[in-house]
Amino acid sequence: MNNRSINLEIGGGGEVCYSVPIGPTHPALKEPIRFTFDLSGEQIVGVDIKPGFAHRGIEYMGMRRNLIQTLYLSERICGICSISHPLAFTQAVENAAGIEVPPRAQYIRTIIGELERIHSHLLWAGVGAHELGFDTLLHLVWNVREKCMDLLEQLTGNRVDYAIPIFGGVRRDIPAEKAPLAYEALDYYKGLLQSMIDAFLHDKSVEMRTRRVGVMTYDQAVELCSVGPTTRASGVKKDVRVDMPYLAYADMDLHAITPEDFGTEPNGDVYDNIIVRLLEVAQSIEIIEFCLENLPEGELSSIPKVPALLAALKNAEGEGIGRHEAPRGEVFHYVKLVAGQDEMDVWKVRAPTYNNLMPWVPKFLGDEVADIPIIAASIDPCMCCMDRVHLVDETGNESVRAKEELIALSRAKTRRVCG
Amino acid sequence: MKPETILGSFRTAFGGKILEEKTIERQVGNIDPKPVYDLWIVVGRETFREAVEHLCAEFNPHLSVISGEDKADSLVLNYHFSSGWGERYGEVTFTIRTTVPKNDFHIPTITDLIPGAQTSEREKIEFFGLEVDGIPDARNLFLPEDMTIHPWRKDQDEQNKPFVKRLVKWEERNE
Repeated sequence: MNNRSINLEIGGGGEVCYSVPIGPTHPALKEPIRFTFDLSGEQIVGVDIKPGFAHRGIEYMGMRRNLIQTLYLSERICGICSISHPLAFTQAVENAAGIEVPPRAQYIRTIIGELERIHSHLLWAGVGAHELGFDTLLHLVWNVREKCMDLLEQLTGNRVDYAIPIFGGVRRDIPAEKAPLAYEALDYYKGLLQSMIDAFLHDKSVEMRTRRVGVMTYDQAVELCSVGPTTRASGVKKDVRVDMPYLAYADMDLHAITPEDFGTEPNGDVYDNIIVRLLEVAQSIEIIEFCLENLPEGELSSIPKVPALLAALKNAEGEGIGRHEAPRGEVFHYVKLVAGQDEMDVWKVRAPTYNNLMPWVPKFLGDEVADIPIIAASIDPCMCCMDRVHLVDETGNESVRAKEELIALSRAKTRRVCG
Repeated sequence: MKPETILGSFRTAFGGKILEEKTIERQVGNIDPKPVYDLWIVVGRETFREAVEHLCAEFNPHLSVISGEDKADSLVLNYHFSSGWGERYGEVTFTIRTTVPKNDFHIPTITDLIPGAQTSEREKIEFFGLEVDGIPDARNLFLPEDMTIHPWRKDQDEQNKPFVKRLVKWEERNE
């Protein structure tokens, strides 16, 4: 997708003198994607995006396995959102097959889902600091993130791929004796929140590198169908947990976090992305506390025996939609079941980055080469990693730039703007 | 957004052109249960574009994704929208379903109404071999640029076999 296909031109841009392909390996994150930038001097006047280097055909595989095998497969779609996909997938199947989920299981799913949001947003904050050349902050943030990973390990047995949801409930309880561990971790993060806000949002160099960089307006966010913190940073109040509640989110009072909660007008720039994500960490802490305090007693699963569950799923007929607000935005699963068939007839998985590809176009336009890493990282893409950059001039001569060079450019800009 | 608002508006505008409609109500919440709704309508391909225009004019939709189901001689496309976001319990999912026959395999684009639909439309082009009339950019998106087969087609297994064999051979090259 490129800027021309959505009629986005940048006013006052000079002649295109360079076309710069960046990626598939990439300086921002650890997954592949290719950008081709049209440059006029240092300014980006056009961009073409080519994803798909890590397309593994998971939906194709899922349509050839039984549903419980596919549940474990869905957990491995993403290493960070490793509960978001199963949460959306189980809801889609439960809606299609008409399976109820006991209240206690709903609350446990919500707790793990929100813990995932905390660690994912902290991971992103660290990556963002790294792109700006603020590595001290990267190490500090990733250090405090470990507390959340430890808690997840204590609650589920795993740091990632928690294997908690199953159709009709959860596989593991959170017993009362584990609750103090969770409260301790939540208190730890509550104590840290203000220092995180100071370190990111009240830091002059962070502000100079992220304010008015990577801007997407409200209207662009809506018409490009963007989701998650990326869209909320532009002031669009869109959050599945609020708009169409599910699980324990239906029992509490929630609102979509936008920069207005921080007392500023939404600009849709990288700074606003930081605001939204940091405030969502605070919101997640409140949600987990609510769930722990109000954890209902009762069953963990409505069909606890796996053979009975498999039989029920095999006989089920129907179609269902499952949605979950993952750390990066709405995850969407569509499932169609046919009676007498072990596997699904149709499975469509829509991860949040899929919808946040197009918003990259307006975000990149008009900014400088040195801003590429932080803008690429600003949507928290669940793909990407740049190791080298090809520069092609108009005569077709190529040169290769190492990842280190591009990050050095970004850091040099930080030093430059800070005098 | 009440389901009747949106369905009623479609009934008034399209009447008998709506081949089928379905409202699925689910109760959410344990303390104070409330209903949420999944809405579905089925329209013919000739009405499809007007239906999306109507939705865009009246209900400010968000396109989640387009899903497809291959039925040997036709392709069923589900356009999964949602409308009414921004308000607690305000959102409903709204799916417009239409069927495209394989012997006349094309559908009008909606990218002029919703630019964000481009990702999903291009995915349908490469994975099903569908033609989307008027799409500004029809290159392969997720698949390699030189890929000629359509992985989600269920009627092309014979064509796909040599490709799968080649993949297996390539993966075993170091063994």
